[in-house]
Amino acid sequence: MTINILLTIFVGLAAGLAVGAGFVAFLTVLGVIPRLTQLTKTNKYIHLLEWSVVLGAVTGGWVSLRDSIFFLSKYWLVPIGLASGIFVGMLAAALTEVLNVWPILAKRVQIEDKIIILLMALVLGKIVGSLYHWIYYVSQ
Amino acid sequence: MEKTIYLRLRHRVQVHPNDTVSIGDIAQIIGFNETISTKIKELPIYQITIQDKNIVVIDIINVIKEIKKYDPAVDIQTIGPTQTLVEIIFKRKKFTLGFLVLIWFLLFVGSALTIMNFHEDVSMQEVHQRIYKLITGKYEEKPLLLQIPYSFGLGLGMILFFNHVFKKRINEEPSPLEVEMFNYQQDLDHYLIMNENKESLKKIDDN
Repeated sequence: MTINILLTIFVGLAAGLAVGAGFVAFLTVLGVIPRLTQLTKTNKYIHLLEWSVVLGAVTGGWVSLRDSIFFLSKYWLVPIGLASGIFVGMLAAALTEVLNVWPILAKRVQIEDKIIILLMALVLGKIVGSLYHWIYYVSQ
Repeated sequence: MEKTIYLRLRHRVQVHPNDTVSIGDIAQIIGFNETISTKIKELPIYQITIQDKNIVVIDIINVIKEIKKYDPAVDIQTIGPTQTLVEIIFKRKKFTLGFLVLIWFLLFVGSALTIMNFHEDVSMQEVHQRIYKLITGKYEEKPLLLQIPYSFGLGLGMILFFNHVFKKRINEEPSPLEVEMFNYQQDLDHYLIMNENKESLKKIDDN
């Protein structure tokens, strides 16, 4: 019995370690956090931001596994939705950048100076696609 | 000492088709003797022909050869890059508005589809229903109160990443997009330097 418990703890810890390391590695590769510190000039507080990511992951993991319920007003969902949207948007932007789409596209189309217009196409596409998905597509 | 010149090749220069490229076009030169350096700047180094397509690489060794041909006594001190990329600028095709609109809609629809696929792939609907339950304790089939701010946040996050919110620069640092464009150009230049420059490759059957 004790062996079983110890083994389960060990497996759980190992799985968590692997997932956590993978998550941080993914964030590091995309470079979202350095970009945010660069924008807000908070390089000095980078370890605080690290803790925010760690605590966020732990809290998210805990509440989703324990099925916690907070019984708060539904208007709390607005800032949460906005924040999660910005985060996913930054990941998406970082991905298109990592894939080197932009420099090649700009070269091929020969409109280096109009690249902002094409960037806006991508941004508006994401917003409209997402809204369409939630409002119409899911109820089909 | 009298005849020492310092020579630094430019990294990339632009010329018109059929131009004659002179040393002064592709290099910065300073010397103790003004007349010698002015004369050297006027020496022709390359005649652009129609066979050159749009890039020519001029190696520093050819520049030294030309200068030595003009005056063997000149002492040349070279600094910086060892070759110059000469870009031949043809009359630029003006892009049509229709083409831009086409590309715009291509990206717009593609971007919309990828985000919908992503949401389906990670079961985002279920996650959002879960978050709604987590906060309010009630089940909601379509938690739009969460999803509409989420959708606008998506766009905001992308803009934030590329830093187009703060139109006037907050700092001198370039945006990730500019860095990426620079790196790509750097890679292209490096490739051209290695492959277009006849001096830097020597194959076994070359003479």
